[in-house]
Amino acid sequence: MEDQILALTADVAAIKSAAQVTNTMFAEMYYYVTIPLMVLIHAGFLLYEMGATRVKNVLSSGMKNLLAFAFTIAAWYVFGWWFYWALPTWPLDLAAGAGYMEISGTGYANAIALPWGDSAQYMGPNMADNASGVFWGAFALFAATTASIASGALIERIQTVGFVICAIVLGTAAWGTAAAWGWHADGWLVTKFGYHDFGAAGLVHAVAGFFALGVLMNLGPRVGKFNADGSANHIAGHNMPLTVTGLMLIIVGFFGFLMACIILPGEGWSWYADKGTTIYGTPMTLSALGFNIPLAAAGGIIGAWVITRDPFWMMSGCLAGIISVAAGLDVYFGSTVIAVSMVAGMILKPCANWLEGLGIDDAVGAVTVHGTIGLFGLLVLGILGSGMPGLGAFAPEDTVAISFFGQLVGAVVMFLLGFVPGYVVSWLVDKAGMLRIPDAVQEKGLDSVKVPAQAYPESMISSGSDS
Amino acid sequence: MGYFAESFAELYNADGWIDMGMFIGAGSSAAGWWTVIAVVMLLAVLAKGNSDEQDHYK
Repeated sequence: MEDQILALTADVAAIKSAAQVTNTMFAEMYYYVTIPLMVLIHAGFLLYEMGATRVKNVLSSGMKNLLAFAFTIAAWYVFGWWFYWALPTWPLDLAAGAGYMEISGTGYANAIALPWGDSAQYMGPNMADNASGVFWGAFALFAATTASIASGALIERIQTVGFVICAIVLGTAAWGTAAAWGWHADGWLVTKFGYHDFGAAGLVHAVAGFFALGVLMNLGPRVGKFNADGSANHIAGHNMPLTVTGLMLIIVGFFGFLMACIILPGEGWSWYADKGTTIYGTPMTLSALGFNIPLAAAGGIIGAWVITRDPFWMMSGCLAGIISVAAGLDVYFGSTVIAVSMVAGMILKPCANWLEGLGIDDAVGAVTVHGTIGLFGLLVLGILGSGMPGLGAFAPEDTVAISFFGQLVGAVVMFLLGFVPGYVVSWLVDKAGMLRIPDAVQEKGLDSVKVPAQAYPESMISSGSDS
Repeated sequence: MGYFAESFAELYNADGWIDMGMFIGAGSSAAGWWTVIAVVMLLAVLAKGNSDEQDHYK
């Protein structure tokens, strides 16, 4: 009998061990898959941006986009990842100490997020660590996405290296700080104000959109965008189908982006042994995304169609629809998603027109799609989701619930985290003579000046293609 | 230079692989020096890229 119990105990232990291995490998694969899915966002941005560019600047726009992707990822490795883990409690705690969950602060960041010293073991291949690399990779793609969002707004007149510097600041310091404060269980926006932003409407989209606005104010419009009386001219891109297809690819990538926002169960870093959660430890399932992302995409397209009848703005509306409900994708009912995303699609073009009326040349509507709609989404959740607990069951008793005030504070912070660094860094880059491409070069075309390749065979380019 | 372990046997126990870097240079200052080299290369590329770009605009 005793032998049988011992054998049974050994069998149970073996089964538990095998189940844990399966869970660990599944979790590793889950986050790993989000990385190539998010690369699709960049494939989309590449097509989108190049399509929205005139023939004479196509390759230059593509090159700028690719370099933003590359340098942001490299910079995220060197110091961006550290920002995320070090700053959740700062500046409320000027020493940036650990928060309640004890997974934050400079000490913690120094131990796991620097590519030198003892922490280097968690910044490269590790025999027993199946998590750090896939989490880092997903966050690196979040960072690159944030930088790429701003890229499209600035096409056809920003210098390449000047832009890369701006992109590095946006993708590391701005997004890393925003994520630390609002997308971390120890983040002060979460613990003190109940800020909730499941799908990063504020901390990716609004930050990137308003960073772009700050840069645009120093960069100025493309040559020929505005007339002497202040009226605006429409500068058509050379390939609308490329742009619209690119936007659809961004939507495909969003599925990976948003699934990466879920914390899986059963691992040492999970909130629960048996339940998936948001990054705040609140309940979440992939099924919630299965309902709400397609509905948001549909609502955004329809809303934009009502106002514009223009496929470019309809696909921008698709993006805006998802962004408008991203903060609350975990808690919105499907019909609510349809209504909110349709409104986002409808207000999109009027908001973009208003911005253009102020003399801002946002070439692809990025400030509006990502910035304005990102803030809109935060505030809508503040109205509809008021009273929802801000953190999961493990939270301290004084945890602050979601409220309109908390979301408003978060919206203001996200605006400032985008706009201020965008304005300041682009001002400095401008003073160094590295921001705006000279008007004469813009008129001639950037590709002929700085790219040793040709986008299309000469025979395919009509005389009016570059206008 | 070279790999830090001559055998993986001593790096595996009842709990599985031990928790440590398995990259070339793990457990030494090599990771930090590689980071310095990579950062210098990235900054040099940006500086040269900007210099070339300004030449294009003249």
